[in-house]
Amino acid sequence: MAKIEIGHGSGGRLTKDLIEGLFLKYLTCDELKPLEDASYIDLEGHRSAITTDSYVVRPIFFPGGNIGKLCVCGAVNDLVVSGARPRYLSLGFIMEEGFSLESLEEILKSIGDTAKNAGVRIVTGDTKVVEKNKCDGIFINTTGVGNVIKPLVVGGISEGDSVIVTGTVGDHGIAVAIAREEFNIDSPVISDCSPLGELLMPVLKIDGLKWMRDPTRGGVATVLAELSGHSGLGIEIFEDKVPVREDVRFISDMLGYDPLYLANEGKALIITSSDSADNVIMTLKEHTLGKNAEIIGNITSAFKGVRLRTRIGGERVLDLLEEELLPRIC
Amino acid sequence: MDKIKKLVQHISSLVPSDRKIKIMNVCGSHEHTIAFSGIRSLIPENLEIVPGPGCPVCVCPESDILNAIDLSNRDDVILVTYGDMLRVPTKNGSIRAEGGNYKMITSPFECLQTASSNPDKKIVFFSVGFETTTAPTVALLEMGVPDNLYILSSHRLTPTIMEVLVKDAEIGIDGFIAPGHVSAIVGSNAWNVFSEKYNIPTVVAGFEPDNLLMGIMDVLWQLKDGKARTSNVYSSVVKPEGNLQAQRLMDKYLKVSDANWRGIGNVPASGLELRDEYAGKDAKKVFELQEIKEDRIPGCICGNVVLGKAYPSECKLFKKVCSPRNPKGPCMVSFEGACNIWYKTN
Ligand code: SF4
Repeated sequence: MAKIEIGHGSGGRLTKDLIEGLFLKYLTCDELKPLEDASYIDLEGHRSAITTDSYVVRPIFFPGGNIGKLCVCGAVNDLVVSGARPRYLSLGFIMEEGFSLESLEEILKSIGDTAKNAGVRIVTGDTKVVEKNKCDGIFINTTGVGNVIKPLVVGGISEGDSVIVTGTVGDHGIAVAIAREEFNIDSPVISDCSPLGELLMPVLKIDGLKWMRDPTRGGVATVLAELSGHSGLGIEIFEDKVPVREDVRFISDMLGYDPLYLANEGKALIITSSDSADNVIMTLKEHTLGKNAEIIGNITSAFKGVRLRTRIGGERVLDLLEEELLPRIC
Repeated sequence: MDKIKKLVQHISSLVPSDRKIKIMNVCGSHEHTIAFSGIRSLIPENLEIVPGPGCPVCVCPESDILNAIDLSNRDDVILVTYGDMLRVPTKNGSIRAEGGNYKMITSPFECLQTASSNPDKKIVFFSVGFETTTAPTVALLEMGVPDNLYILSSHRLTPTIMEVLVKDAEIGIDGFIAPGHVSAIVGSNAWNVFSEKYNIPTVVAGFEPDNLLMGIMDVLWQLKDGKARTSNVYSSVVKPEGNLQAQRLMDKYLKVSDANWRGIGNVPASGLELRDEYAGKDAKKVFELQEIKEDRIPGCICGNVVLGKAYPSECKLFKKVCSPRNPKGPCMVSFEGACNIWYKTN
């Protein structure tokens, strides 16, 4: 009998197969169909966006953040990249009997600080406790609601558009991998986990902006491969333009990871018309979170799928994340 | 970038237009660089760079893995091995799926910790790989290992298998890019046999794309000259004589034996086992392990992929049922395996 595998949670090919093959069989409506990170809904004439996510990251505390900061950033960022201003969050906690109250307090403090920083209010919540060994410390579910400023849909993308990433890729993936102590490496890499509202709200005002997404599980490559699939357009990416921290590159090489497939928690991919690309970059660079923003590629109809122009000018294909690199990265 | 362009231009000018040239790399990390930097997309089509037996996980015999699974299911044993080995499929599943007590390590020295914190258990280190991983294993033995630590050796010799390949006319190798890490241990002189006896150009290269391109260029030069040499474009790391200390220790603890290669079969004098003096450390002897007949995996052509006779994409299972997530054969498991690399870059 077929069973759920750890890879069904990877955000890559297996997740996609599960959602499209099983979930959509029973649950479908116009709002859900685009399968974006947030959906647009109408509340008596008010255009809103809604998103939900569960957080199971291991370890709960990692360099640069913890599950609390992560669960706020995740919901906030899903709304922001959907062109919405995040307003309200709900939080659902599932805790394991025996979980330290001190840790819980630290997590809640992070949640409070991050929410304040991101300008969202936590308006409802729930706590459940399960017996020892029935969950791993603490899991959190977050739902976020925001009001739509500029709806962004894949349909708006066309040939010649530019692909932008707002900063270095792979930081979160490496920070969490190292924090798990599966590898004996001392590393200064910290997670990029941060709310992106302040960085991206000004970008929403730029005319040529077409689409945004935060490349979390599965990384930049998986998001682009999905985008290519949904839009039917090809994407060309230039390896030497993709910003990667020196130490992230080094550790990735050592562990056999490709930074393009590693998770980010404070970055966005932006598709914008080529004539507005410089303006988007300038706007991003005004904020510290966007200081490493780069145009990394463009949309093309010359081929389908995603192709990487390598540093030495060669070419290779980028596809959906296939292997489960690091389960429970968020 | 300019340097690369020049190298590529030069390589293109050296490739004759009227015939195919086949250069084999014998190292998973070389294949990784070649595929991930897209070197094949830059060179003429009739210059083939084929991956050879460079992935230790791919050639480790099924019998050893089956024995490892059985050992891990004994109450008195903890099996320790490298991460990739845990996922290699066999007719009875993988160590990860079917094993009992096992632990992943990244360096053999971690065995010591496991042994000392589990004094009432027998720790079996399933030690696989070519000369590169053999060296740290014998260094571990030289340090003196605790009484409760045993070695299940599945080490293989690179020069021996390369000689098998050279003699196989079906493959038709015109030149070798010799493995950088292995060469650091055995020395570039270890490859002289290929140029001297078989007139096959052999170049030791490192792992950066420009260094590999230089290696390819060197092979082509030699082919043009009609006179093969062994040369070394990775001399910052690889010495002609290699690492003598490591060689001495390998000789002290291990002896050459006939050995099975997965998907290939028995190759005379291609493996390493513990010398009789150290039989008390040899898991095969201590636990009286028997050779288990290998069952070919239906449809999997890993054996031919490893020998450079087929590309992964020629396998009917490739990308259809066999994927890194669900590997049907050993070449899809490790990031040094040709099928795994092919999957991600093609
Ligand atoms: S694709 Fe899979 S089944 Fe085919 S040769 Fe490679 S590992 Fe074997």
